Amino acid sequence: MTRLKDLLPTLLVATLAAAFGVALLQITGILTAVITSENGLAESGTVQLMLGLVAGVFITIAVYVSAVVTGNTVATVVAGRTRLIALLRLIGSSAGAQRAAIAREGLLVGLAGAVLGALVGSAAAWGIAEIGMAQGSIPRVTYSLVDPLLLVPMVAVALTTWLAAWTGSRRVLAVRPAQALGNATEADFDEVSSRRGRAVAAWILGVLGAGLLVLGVVVGLVRPEGVLIGLLGGILSFTAIVLAAHRVMPPVLRVVGRLFGDRPAARLAAENAVRHPERSSRMTIGLVIGVTLVTTFAVTMETYRHMLLIATDDQPELQDALGPVIDGTVAVFSTLIGFSAVIAAVGLVNTLSISVMQRTRELGLLRALGFDRRQIRVMVLVEAAALTVAATLTGLVLGIAYGWVGAQSILGSVGSGPGIVAPVIPWPIVAIVVGAAALLTLAASVAPMRRAARVSPVVALAVD
Amino acid sequence: MQIHPSDLGLIARVTNLGKRYGTGPGAVAALDDVSLGLRRGEFTAIMGPSGSGKSTLMHIMAGLDSPTSGRVWLGDTDITDLPDGELTVLRRRRIGFVFQSFNLVPTLDVRANVLLPFELDGRRPSKDEQAWIDELLDTLGLAPRVKHRPHELSGGQQQRVAIARALATRPDLVFADEPTGNLDSRTGREVLSLLASASSRTGQSIAMVTHDPVAASHADRILFLADGRIVRDTARSTPEEISSYMLAMEAAA
Ligand SMILES: Nc1ncnc2c1ncn2[C@@H]1O[C@H](COP(=O)(O)OP(=O)(O)O)[C@@H](O)[C@H]1O
Ligand SMILES: [Mg+2]
Repeated sequence: MTRLKDLLPTLLVATLAAAFGVALLQITGILTAVITSENGLAESGTVQLMLGLVAGVFITIAVYVSAVVTGNTVATVVAGRTRLIALLRLIGSSAGAQRAAIAREGLLVGLAGAVLGALVGSAAAWGIAEIGMAQGSIPRVTYSLVDPLLLVPMVAVALTTWLAAWTGSRRVLAVRPAQALGNATEADFDEVSSRRGRAVAAWILGVLGAGLLVLGVVVGLVRPEGVLIGLLGGILSFTAIVLAAHRVMPPVLRVVGRLFGDRPAARLAAENAVRHPERSSRMTIGLVIGVTLVTTFAVTMETYRHMLLIATDDQPELQDALGPVIDGTVAVFSTLIGFSAVIAAVGLVNTLSISVMQRTRELGLLRALGFDRRQIRVMVLVEAAALTVAATLTGLVLGIAYGWVGAQSILGSVGSGPGIVAPVIPWPIVAIVVGAAALLTLAASVAPMRRAARVSPVVALAVD
Repeated sequence: MQIHPSDLGLIARVTNLGKRYGTGPGAVAALDDVSLGLRRGEFTAIMGPSGSGKSTLMHIMAGLDSPTSGRVWLGDTDITDLPDGELTVLRRRRIGFVFQSFNLVPTLDVRANVLLPFELDGRRPSKDEQAWIDELLDTLGLAPRVKHRPHELSGGQQQRVAIARALATRPDLVFADEPTGNLDSRTGREVLSLLASASSRTGQSIAMVTHDPVAASHADRILFLADGRIVRDTARSTPEEISSYMLAMEAAA
């Protein structure tokens, strides 16, 4: 029952996640081969373990983000198909069967993405290694691109895509057959779904997480292990925010929407972003996660670097030696986390594009009533901008807060005794995030803008 | 000397209008050499079997679609070859629409939907226009509903909001394409009598497609289309006269 076009966004996300995971493992393998050839097996064992652990963390993050994105994409597609689902229900198809079909498609797409991603990721790693060896920046060694370990990210991607399609399609169960008859709108549909359990879970996790964050900071004043408590608090409280996204994002979107002025195209766009809390939180939460991760890490590292520079103030040679190491570490790790943000961005582009297609009739109506093509384009652009600005702002604020907790709990007890560490904000990274968000807004709106402007006013009059 | 449509008391006019969909042997002639003038202040009903070209005629007269041949005027403006931007402004200021369904922007409440044509024009209604809008909302029974969103309204209420919006700017011409096609017959007739009384009270020109003989009997003039041609053009008629003509048409087909 699903058109191929609806599956492509999910395939792209699964492929990206698998490609990332496989490329990271391949590069780890190649680096291990290089180190073995230079320093012998003994040392390469620990290095391999370290690299493997680091790769594991980033792959987990990427797979998690892609699962959230896929779940939201599937939910967006399902919301737009309420009527079709209701019609099928009306003529006797069971909700469970329809949902199972969506999940099965998720598994197939996940498998396809895993295989495609493995090919792309291996090719990328091979390319990087060959270029490095050709330029002499790494010594030429023999390495193998076949490793059973590669199955881990592939299987993870396939399974999480399956799971995400399953959770994303839970709304199928809320569709009433009668909705095939009435003028069912998404708002109607969204309000049907129960949010009780989710709200309770969000509150419990939120309170628990916030408590642990505070505890982490307090313990961090005495021992750096406080960061582990803080980390747990961060994971719990952030999960709460993800669960409560439909409550958290609309107020942010409302404030951001005001920035775009009072002209009709801008006002309608802002309304669109605010009036469907489910829809807009689905579109933004992936990006919020991505930006929060990047910023958290960057703020923690920057604060750490700042402390280190102050502590080594009297040792300029040490500073000169440490500087590039820290810079390099920050750059590599930011890129690795940044990839998750890219997956999230792909998710936003997809959901915006789907949601514009789902509003063809509304766009036709506006054209009939006197919106010109330019106004339609402005409307889509402003909606994309409102979504990305809101997501980026939220992510930056959360990231700075989490980053500070991280830095404070690691560093509060070192140096001149217990003290408060002021967060240091890495402006270059903030600038990159903001610049990327601006690019994303444009990228996310190009295709939908063109498609929206092409909508003929006649479609609003047509009866389906 | 050039004769303007308005000299003849016409609010809209088409001459030798043709519309073909597709090319070659599979082409469909939705309209075939239609010439017609709609008179200012009149309520015109357009009837005919499904597929006879009623919607196509309306789309072209309203500047939503372009003809394959012939010319189209709205008032004294020849809109046949107007570029999209100018057509858009013309629809915004001089034409009102009521469609069969999906008339309202789901994210806007009733008042915002009614005010949308002004918004699109980048202005606020004048005092006089505001009074007219309040009166419309009142007579259409929407006053207690202005803060509601479309999905909180019944089908009949949604159509009344669409009527309020179409009349709010006092356009030259209101087009309504089967505006009650999605309503039960009683609600539909209520909505239509509101539309008809607005026309007679304020001299609003309206062109409406309908299948309902009772609805059409409110009209000052009734046009029948068949196979893309106008086959009958009569003044106000009783529902019985209209039904018997419709039956005769069906028998002939
Ligand atoms: N977009 C289109 N493409 C091809 N044929 C069309 C299109 N729109 C209408 N037609 C055809 O033109 C004819 C008239 O259609 P329409 O004006 O919608 O009729 P009515 O409104 O009287 O039912 C029909 O035969 C219809 O199939
Ligand atoms: Mg029609």
